[in-house]
Amino acid sequence: MTGPEPSRADGAPLIRIRDLRKIYVMGADEVHALDGVSLDIAKGEYVAVMGPSGSGKSTLMNVIGCLDTPTSGSYQLRGTEIREREDDELARIRNQEIGFIFQTFNLLPRADALHNVELPLIYSGTPAKERRDRARDLLAQVGLADRMHHRPNELSGGQRQRVAIARALVNRPSIVLADEPTGNLDSKTGVEIMALLAEINGRGNTVILVTHEEDIAAHARRVIRLRDGLIESDRAQAPRPAAPHAVPATPAAPS
Amino acid sequence: MTGPARTRREFWAAQGENLKIALDAIRANKLRSVLTVLGNVVAVMSVIMVVAVIDGVNTYVGEKILEQGLQVVYIDKFGLITNDDAFREAEKRRDLTLREARALETRMRLASRVVAQVEASKRVRAGRNELANVTVRGTTAGYEEVGNFEVVEGRHLDPSDVDRRRPVAVVGSEVASALYPRVDPIGQRLKVAGQELLVIGVLKAKGNVLGQSQDNLVLTTLGQYDKMFGAHRSLTITVKAQPGVPLERVEDEARVVLRSERHVPLGKPDDFGISTAETFRALYQSLTGGIFAGTIALVAISLVVGGIVIMNIMLVAVTERTREIGLRKALGARRSDLTGQFLSEAVVLSTFGGVLGVAAGISFALFIRAVTPLPASIQPWSVLISLGVASSVGLFFGVYPATRAAQLDPIAALRQE
Repeated sequence: MTGPEPSRADGAPLIRIRDLRKIYVMGADEVHALDGVSLDIAKGEYVAVMGPSGSGKSTLMNVIGCLDTPTSGSYQLRGTEIREREDDELARIRNQEIGFIFQTFNLLPRADALHNVELPLIYSGTPAKERRDRARDLLAQVGLADRMHHRPNELSGGQRQRVAIARALVNRPSIVLADEPTGNLDSKTGVEIMALLAEINGRGNTVILVTHEEDIAAHARRVIRLRDGLIESDRAQAPRPAAPHAVPATPAAPS
Repeated sequence: MTGPARTRREFWAAQGENLKIALDAIRANKLRSVLTVLGNVVAVMSVIMVVAVIDGVNTYVGEKILEQGLQVVYIDKFGLITNDDAFREAEKRRDLTLREARALETRMRLASRVVAQVEASKRVRAGRNELANVTVRGTTAGYEEVGNFEVVEGRHLDPSDVDRRRPVAVVGSEVASALYPRVDPIGQRLKVAGQELLVIGVLKAKGNVLGQSQDNLVLTTLGQYDKMFGAHRSLTITVKAQPGVPLERVEDEARVVLRSERHVPLGKPDDFGISTAETFRALYQSLTGGIFAGTIALVAISLVVGGIVIMNIMLVAVTERTREIGLRKALGARRSDLTGQFLSEAVVLSTFGGVLGVAAGISFALFIRAVTPLPASIQPWSVLISLGVASSVGLFFGVYPATRAAQLDPIAALRQE
């Protein structure tokens, strides 16, 4: 699997955020969830966004994931300003550019693993056969070749998260956005999932990890800490090496 | 990076997915789905059933009751009375008499036959055998021409029987078999109102019309009838048209003759009733029109109530699946995708109700056909129209829930537990 195609604007970072603000009005109060955040993320980075609850990390993730639009400031994804986009365009950007991984997996309970992975491809209008082939391929890559037709309630937590990861990757997004991906898993399974994310990053995918656990953030190569809607620190680090046995032995598929 | 207009391929991929989701949802909530669509079931069932029954009755009435081709005009004291006031008014009229019947016979040029009759429901006896509620009818000769009667044994009443007021009878097949189970009825006697009649003929069986036997009948001469029950009864006069003469002209001629015979002044309404098969058909059609109108009202109410129930359940479904909606949005579903998804679900749900209704309606129509003489027939157009309307109800009442789903904020939706 290759990473996303090169940015249209040469030399521009994948993500370029300038003085980003998000203000929620709750009754008479204004809540400044983001109070002037600026940052760049380049293609292929592995970034952890950290901070206590209320620090604005969820809001930042929502904005980066195009689920939410900022009140002011600029967010450019691959050179495109997101703030000016219509609802349907945002939906398409989420579909093509963002792969979400959630703490609670968010699989459709009545659909089997294969169909869950196919879902983003349905919304991009991919023909059924290609959908199935790609979903199968991705499930094999996350080590679930023999679980394609299991429903979520027939899978363990770790397996469910693997399905979700396959789903996040199936449309070859620019960014994989993982929100507390190990929050609902035991620590051993959590380690496996983190190893899988490291492997995905190793193949050239940009991974942004939102977490409040130092242990988890330690897997990233860069840690951005937020407090009260502002960046408190932003530094590179040597990632903790992934446990090699946890990585599925399937080779990366050429695409 | 921004999306072009959706392609046809995307559209059909989405519809396939929507259908799957909708069927899954119905399968997951079977009982709830069935209860939800009861309104549609009732509506569709009513349409198919009523159309089938009315169509059956139409055929039946056309064939059996109106006996088309008889070419007769009926004249009696009351005519076609449809309300109380008209009845009270008509009661004051003078009775129709045998003299008037004779006058019609001699003066009408367009009539081939005029028959005067009177009847009552009586008990008849022969030895130990007895039959109640038999139609005993006094008649002049020629009744077989105006009423399609045939004898299978013996002979009809003839003019000399009538002129001489003979105490003879022609009996219906049911009377014959009930009173004379083991002997030839011809030459036997039967007793009505204390008088003995000699059986001279047995009529061919006609069967039932609307559950009413047509063979439970005793015909005797008008004179003998008067002897048994008194002469002060208004007669029913039946006029048969000459071959090829339009019935309206016969009706007009009969009216002119009878008005002059009864001295009805110019400008005054008839003081008798005159009707043809056409009159009955018109009355019948206004009746079935009423049934149709009633059905349409019932169906409209069922559909509105059913639609509101569907809307409600769809709102519940949207709430239940808020998280799913948020997820789909995060994965790239546009508003139109979600509108489409929930609209499809509402349409599939209400069509499902329609299909249940079709099944119920057809079963009921077949049941009616099996247990009644009505040839209830299922009309394909009624099935198509009612299914179409049932689906449209889902489309109409699904718009609001689907719009609600499409407008959900993905962040709030994903956060919801």
